[in-house]
Amino acid sequence: MTTIVLPYMLDFYPLQDEDNTRIHQFYASLREGKLTTTKCKDCGGLFWPPRVACPGCNSDQFEWVELLDEGELYAFTAMLLGAPLGMEKDVPFVLGMVQLDGTEFKVLSRIGNTKYEDCSLGMRVKLETYDLEDGRVWFRFVPITSD
Amino acid sequence: MKNVAIVACGLAPFGVRKATWRELVQEASKAVFDDVQNLDKKDIDSLFVGAAMPERFAFQSHVAPLVAEQVGIVPHKVVTRTELACSSGQSAVRTAWASIVTGLSDIALCLGVEKMNMPNMLETQTSMACVLEREWDGVQGASAPPFFAMCAQRHMHEYGTTVEQMAMVSEKNHHFSTTNPYAQFQKEIPAEKVLGSPMIAPPLRLFDCSGITDGAAAVILTSEERAKEFTDVPTYIIGSGQCSMASNLANYKSLSTWHPMKIAAKEAYRSAKIGPMDLDFAEVHDCFTISEIIEYEDAGFCEKGEGGKFIEEGQSNIGGKMPINTRGGLLGTGHPLGATGIGQIVEVMQQFRSTVPKERLVDGAEMAMAHNLSGAANVHSILVFGRSPR
Ligand SMILES: [Zn+2]
Repeated sequence: MTTIVLPYMLDFYPLQDEDNTRIHQFYASLREGKLTTTKCKDCGGLFWPPRVACPGCNSDQFEWVELLDEGELYAFTAMLLGAPLGMEKDVPFVLGMVQLDGTEFKVLSRIGNTKYEDCSLGMRVKLETYDLEDGRVWFRFVPITSD
Repeated sequence: MKNVAIVACGLAPFGVRKATWRELVQEASKAVFDDVQNLDKKDIDSLFVGAAMPERFAFQSHVAPLVAEQVGIVPHKVVTRTELACSSGQSAVRTAWASIVTGLSDIALCLGVEKMNMPNMLETQTSMACVLEREWDGVQGASAPPFFAMCAQRHMHEYGTTVEQMAMVSEKNHHFSTTNPYAQFQKEIPAEKVLGSPMIAPPLRLFDCSGITDGAAAVILTSEERAKEFTDVPTYIIGSGQCSMASNLANYKSLSTWHPMKIAAKEAYRSAKIGPMDLDFAEVHDCFTISEIIEYEDAGFCEKGEGGKFIEEGQSNIGGKMPINTRGGLLGTGHPLGATGIGQIVEVMQQFRSTVPKERLVDGAEMAMAHNLSGAANVHSILVFGRSPR
């Protein structure tokens, strides 16, 4: 059971277990280091974020598919002032839209292990998952180092 | 389709106000009723309140009846609140317009309001992050400045737009707001000062961003048949377009071209039976300097990629091809979410009436538009106005 530190209305992270969400499998996979989403069994539609009803064909039959965990920076910036409550201690941090390999998705993410000045458009990044203090799991991307 | 007219307008001063949410409502209400002639409050049958986040900024829900009581009306046809983040104010007017077109409402009050300055500004910042998809995008620490910063980065990368051109947008709009006693910022901000201001989210600096603002604005709408009872110079709604495309940032086609704006603009011009350059001036949503540059392009005032040149050449100033944001825009006036869209319409009406200060008057203007984007520029809302009915 998750113990949320901030009042729920100031807590950004989703509730992740099966008592609270029908996409709990996403978070279970994330805990294993895998980025997944739902694919519609009827029309083949692949959506981000995961769904429980298909906006394309109205099916509710899905399978979980693993996405490639690398991509490149489509855009990036840094949060220098005005971060939300609970994130002040992280400032400054880099934010980027990651064009995920093999998909149309440009997933917004923190870009860890780097500074704004060291990032560039098209820079290769890979998924990294981590535990939140309260036991929930989350993800970010980090630069792929060449060595 | 029935013609609808705006017959009165009023503002509460925008800024960091020493006033509560409900006091801002009363100020805008007094201003709009001071502006209207021959109207008995009993004849207002509908109320539309534009408010984005009163729950989070003022700990108040169910705001429409609260406004009705503050204002002193008993709406008995339609009473509701419209929420569309930064476009909540225009949404109130759009909804009132539709209600009058159908004949359901006869006379409607639209009042937009937001109280955003709180004792702990971090709470305001936190709430602003839930204008994005909170569970997937806001959760990463994103909010409006980082999103528009990435739009700026892509626009600079794809079209060669410069930070100097962005700074010129801020300089222009702050110059206009020196003529506006209702504006949050009434001092000149030269481009050099913009370029020297603190970095918020690179490449955006403090003066590339609109403020955190308290304010309220109100207008009264009725049918063309009744309009002249209440004012000598009604402002007619002659066209409309609105489009929502994507929500999660992962699903955006582009950051540098706002496709939903192009769709909304096309429909607005089609319904008004005009082209973009038939407008005499425009109010567009300059929440950030880069927004105004992209909007020049996607509204069709210049070619794609030439927005930077458009400001550099002074085309968005009075005397240029399309005067933009003569009241000072969001950059100069401030951006009280629910009030912004109605504040823009107040400017349109006062321009048509020639009651704005001479320095910012677009002489003889007959047609104008007001544009809002909301959230991460995934919804665009446009209304077209005429000094004459369609
Ligand atoms: Zn499907």
